[in-house]
Amino acid sequence: MSLTDRLHGVFVDALELPEGTDVENLTYRGIEQWDSLGHMTLVAAIEDEFDVQLDTEQVIDMSSFKVALDMLRGLSVDE
Amino acid sequence: MNLVAPSARLIDAATGAVLGGAGLAAEVGRHAAAYAGFPPGVVFARSGTSVPAVLRYAGALRAQRPVALLDPALDPAVLADFVRRFSPAVVVGLAEGGAGADTGERPGDYRAVDDEVLGPVWVRERACADQPHPDLAVLLATSGSTGDPKFVRLSRAAVESNAAAIARVLAIGPDEVAPTSLPLYYSFGMSVLNSHLAAGATVLVVDGGVLAREFWQAVSAYGATSLAGVPHNYEMLHRIRWSPAKYPTLRTLTQAGGKLRDETILAFHARIAETGGRFHVMWGCTEAAPRMSTLPADALPDRVGSVGPALPGGSFTVLGPDGAETDRPGVVGELVYRGPNVMMGYAESAADLTRGDEQGGVLRTGDLGCLDADGFVWLRGRLKRFGKVFGIRVNLHDIEELARDQGPVVAVSGPDRVVVFVEGGTDDGARALAGRLAERLRLHRSGFDVRTVERLPQLPNGKIDYRSLEALV
Repeated sequence: MSLTDRLHGVFVDALELPEGTDVENLTYRGIEQWDSLGHMTLVAAIEDEFDVQLDTEQVIDMSSFKVALDMLRGLSVDE
Repeated sequence: MNLVAPSARLIDAATGAVLGGAGLAAEVGRHAAAYAGFPPGVVFARSGTSVPAVLRYAGALRAQRPVALLDPALDPAVLADFVRRFSPAVVVGLAEGGAGADTGERPGDYRAVDDEVLGPVWVRERACADQPHPDLAVLLATSGSTGDPKFVRLSRAAVESNAAAIARVLAIGPDEVAPTSLPLYYSFGMSVLNSHLAAGATVLVVDGGVLAREFWQAVSAYGATSLAGVPHNYEMLHRIRWSPAKYPTLRTLTQAGGKLRDETILAFHARIAETGGRFHVMWGCTEAAPRMSTLPADALPDRVGSVGPALPGGSFTVLGPDGAETDRPGVVGELVYRGPNVMMGYAESAADLTRGDEQGGVLRTGDLGCLDADGFVWLRGRLKRFGKVFGIRVNLHDIEELARDQGPVVAVSGPDRVVVFVEGGTDDGARALAGRLAERLRLHRSGFDVRTVERLPQLPNGKIDYRSLEALV
């Protein structure tokens, strides 16, 4: 599975997104589910799935699906 | 009522625009004047975290109109119910947005107007027959014990005296810069705004909260000096290993809105003390406009767990088990607060808004606790938060304290048992906790139903949503 697909799955599970959500264009606080609580759940889920630890700045920077994807690439998570 | 002292400033972090001095006074005056064209009565202000929302609020107060600060994400059915019950003269902030924001349909007795100053509003066709009491200034929604949303009625004197007392006890002067880390419709967020504007300080209006990049960019760019948060905010910052060292202008951290774990308090106290700053634990409730007590920063770490003495002008007593009020140290009972900031009463309808003060400056808090020899308050949980296990009454607060090392926990009363929700726990951990609770409380373990949840549900103000958890059991 590609990195994009895996991250897609993490978003859907962690934020409990309804079917048909345009996941790849999501932004923090752009939908009700991705509030501060959702953000913390999402961070924990990403850390689990990709076996990484995000630092303070990364957690605060992760303002969209695309940013999260770029960040994981930057952390050399395998495609 | 003029909330805004001459040296006060508003900075809009989104645009960089600064409003202060004569410019700010003129804007507040312009907003106040804009209300003159509407029928007399209450203003409903859907208020996001924005400069226009602050100006609509300050303008309504200047125009001597009571103003209800409302969550823009309020369910449209709830907004419609509020409008029906309270018949406001005007609903402003219709364009206030954010995820989940929806006004629903315009109510029947109202017409839509696009006001030059206030933006899109709903105006009542005729004045409501029930006109608000002249002392009334601010209305804040609270769910109350029955779950029916109602308003807390705050007088002008209560709002002003509380803003002044907070400014005094936190030493808020004109050099302070407070970012809007909490919603304005939440009593703690409103008090940050009120106390800074009244003290002639700067309010940095920035949306997004403490997990948003824009928030911290604004803190750095405009040299924010303080941060206000509820336990949930500090737990999140703790979890992501946030440090105030990166923001050298931050000198004051304040926490209210519920019990923060002692270890988290001490961690933040230690971190901010390193850079010469201070951490204040505070206690309040919407019914007290909202602040009642503040723990002086130098009382940490020794008095961790206390919420401090009453604000200047206020005092506490304890309603002891014998039904008599006392200020004797060590007596545990319901805490009673007296002060000029106590609400006038509740309101469930427009008729209730006509009423004057019904409290006489006395507020039974519904919280259990005691005072120490210096008058510091030590809270012991909610008065009515008891569960029964095999007919034995147990204090749910005590159970939460016993389980707190497992992470955020909530205990609620189930049918002859206590259900404990643990955030992010494991099934093994849950079983072990049930065993431990049974042992400590000397009750059979089948009386403790420990469940793990991914996250505890919260209300928009960041407090735990007990009602939705109770619905699960």
